[in-house]
Amino acid sequence: MLALEAILGLRVMASPEALDAAPWASEAVVLRFAPDDAFAISVMDIDVTDDHAIVAQEAGFVGVWLTTDELIERVVPHIEWPLPVARPALAQGLIAGVPAKLWLAEDRALLLCAGAYAHELTERLR
Amino acid sequence: MTGPGRIIIDGRPIPFGADDSVAVAMMRAGLHPNHGGTLCLAGDCGNCVVEVDGVAYVRSCQIRARPELVVQRHPAAEAPPMPTASRVDLTDPPPAPRIRVERAEADVVVVGAGDSGTSAAADARRRGRSVTVLDANDGMEVVGIYAGPTVIVRTPDGMLHIGAHDVIVATGAAELHPVCPGNTLAGLVTARAAQQLHAGGVDLGMAVAIGAAPSGVPCTAVPGRLLRIEGEGTVSAVVTVDDDGSGHERSTACDTVIFGIGHAARDGLTRMAGNLAVTVVGPAAEAFPLPAGPTAGTVCPCSLVNVDDLDSVWDRGFRELELVKRASLVGTGTCQGSVCLPYLRAFIAERTGEIPEPFTARPAARQITLSEAAAGAHVDAFRRTPLHDEHTALGARMDRFGGWWRPWHYGDHVAEYWSVREAVSLGDVSTLGKLVVSGPDAVEALERLYPMRVADIRIGRSRYALLLNERGHVMDDGMVCREAESRFVLTFTSAGAGHAEMWVRDWVETWGLRVHVLDRTMSLAAINVTGPLAGQLLERVGLSAQPRFLEHAHAQVAGIPCHVMRLSFTGEMSFELHHPVDRSVELWRALMAHGRDLGIAPHGLQALQGLRLEKGNVIVGMDTELDSTPRRLGMDWAVKMEKADFVGRSALARTAQLADDRQLVGLTMPGIAPTEGSPIWSDGDVVGHVASSFTSPILGHVVMLGWLKRAPFPEQVEVDGRTASVVPPPFYDPEGIRARA
Repeated sequence: MLALEAILGLRVMASPEALDAAPWASEAVVLRFAPDDAFAISVMDIDVTDDHAIVAQEAGFVGVWLTTDELIERVVPHIEWPLPVARPALAQGLIAGVPAKLWLAEDRALLLCAGAYAHELTERLR
Repeated sequence: MTGPGRIIIDGRPIPFGADDSVAVAMMRAGLHPNHGGTLCLAGDCGNCVVEVDGVAYVRSCQIRARPELVVQRHPAAEAPPMPTASRVDLTDPPPAPRIRVERAEADVVVVGAGDSGTSAAADARRRGRSVTVLDANDGMEVVGIYAGPTVIVRTPDGMLHIGAHDVIVATGAAELHPVCPGNTLAGLVTARAAQQLHAGGVDLGMAVAIGAAPSGVPCTAVPGRLLRIEGEGTVSAVVTVDDDGSGHERSTACDTVIFGIGHAARDGLTRMAGNLAVTVVGPAAEAFPLPAGPTAGTVCPCSLVNVDDLDSVWDRGFRELELVKRASLVGTGTCQGSVCLPYLRAFIAERTGEIPEPFTARPAARQITLSEAAAGAHVDAFRRTPLHDEHTALGARMDRFGGWWRPWHYGDHVAEYWSVREAVSLGDVSTLGKLVVSGPDAVEALERLYPMRVADIRIGRSRYALLLNERGHVMDDGMVCREAESRFVLTFTSAGAGHAEMWVRDWVETWGLRVHVLDRTMSLAAINVTGPLAGQLLERVGLSAQPRFLEHAHAQVAGIPCHVMRLSFTGEMSFELHHPVDRSVELWRALMAHGRDLGIAPHGLQALQGLRLEKGNVIVGMDTELDSTPRRLGMDWAVKMEKADFVGRSALARTAQLADDRQLVGLTMPGIAPTEGSPIWSDGDVVGHVASSFTSPILGHVVMLGWLKRAPFPEQVEVDGRTASVVPPPFYDPEGIRARA
């Protein structure tokens, strides 16, 4: 069974330009859910050049890091849409019928979903 | 014959050979799988369907015989009986086995490994394409081609869904069946079937051939045109008429009639695929000549449609191929027209002079079980709040509401009710929709979205808001909380939150306004602390500077950062504590611990629905209908028509000029609450229905919200055989003193 754990970070809604220019730490994993929507894992604060940006601590996600083999064996069979080929890449859609996201790096992947769906996703990927 | 084992046919064991299909094994034992009808043994017709291991309508020619396989023939003249459900507990797992589904991507999928399929695959490979070949003989039965194109395959291990770039259908050609009197007798086979049976050592007895005789099969060719087949259950003679115009009939005694009378493209998959990017090659793409129009006999053996039936619908004016199909049900059975379509087209062509296009084939091309069809499908995912385990530990009965698991009650909803009215109670309202809206145009956006005033909401204050669509119908409701000049928090109903978020985003983008929208619904939990002792409890956990009614503030509660909203849905003093989901259990436990001596108890939705009903508070989606306007709900006070514009304003302005014969009203009556949905009667007519009802413990009578749908609205009505009075809500604390305390 996949052990989904809380993935804490910072959620930033800001203009795409401001998000592009934000001084993210080089090692930070920053998921761009949308051009104006970023989720920076393990980041606590950031200065963005948008006076109206919404910057909030984000505790709503759970996830698990997977090796490529684990991803192929345990998650990919439950995906009905084509995964992006490029790396890194963010993919979003239903996984086993649950809204979820995948951060695909060269040698690992982060499976992410809202904590409210954690039990459903865990059960369905059993 | 001594075979590797036995299969059970109609309760009787019969041996089978090493390469036998079930159909061949049955024929060897002298059993026609379906009691009669021409056999093709190629998976094209429905004349060999049987029940295999409890699954009906399985083509026995496509199933390899294996030891202890249990086969039951269908009744000769009717559909097989539906399985009887012996289980009554609907919470039991379904009795059908879970079907494994695999998904794959492919460059080119070739369906069929015959000559044309092999050639097409080789050609594709030469062009550098990656090719996947699927053939039923290898156990890979293609049952459908859907948009994508997606090829659905039944495999020996389950189901396979292949997303293909290109699909090539090379399924070959099917053999024509005869249509004439007697064509439902046993002892009729196509040429290929005869070869298969002969190769399997099945004794065909005295065999005659109509048309092209199959090579290698001992039989006598019968000249002339087929007139009829004679016999009692099984063929005993075939009658032909000479082609020389003499009209001379010839009767030939026989045990088996072999038909080599032509072919038709095996194009079910392509007829199913419609406009999808599917290429057809080989005989499957060939335009074979149609047979002569049928004059008598069964045209569609699956649906038992004969020529008289076709004549009947034709005479009644159904003269398009699709209409003839629907009126007669020809082509709607197991084989989806594989047998009858050529004859149906010939039937129409003879009457109109034009050959009609084939009709569409419906999935699935092979009979599959519901489990196989549903393989890989998922039921809706229901969310859990971070307090889910707390609720269950407290004995809550959880149920699904608005896409969430929520506590319906904790064992005694009346006790929960009283804890709200007389002490303090906690409610899990984490499911409420929560949007943060920020930007230089935030006020402008919200003024356009909402029918009430937004610009004059002071920072730290909130206001109740309806959300309307362009027709002025109420879609949702919630609070608008101003956090800063250009920043707001909006709340929505649990069930409506997802749609409300899309609604807000769509309009903001449509108007091109500079506004950021962040959905915090699943990032923030919320606990409603409600009851006359709510303030006292919150003071104990550090909230001494408490917001007044309709104020909100950010504060630490039990050491946890909260956005505290003072409002009331229950009618009592209430504070919603919005907080990060990862601190929710900690906050809940702190509140429960500090409120123990205050008589604290959590309340579920059942109590909440009664509490709010006493206050006359509407639940959108429960009390409202799809076309409920604020006027119909008696909520014109929440609409400021003097505003220049907002979504729904023009519709409200127009309909305000019209009389309205619908009104949501408050109702009271003595006794026990009637069932929600009960009809409301007046002068012997149904004039509406009850939307919500509750036996109020504190008022000692029933309170209801109900729709009256006939003007003039009566002041007294009848519900559940009792007199009910129309009373303007709220029923409890109409001045709102307790909520504002």
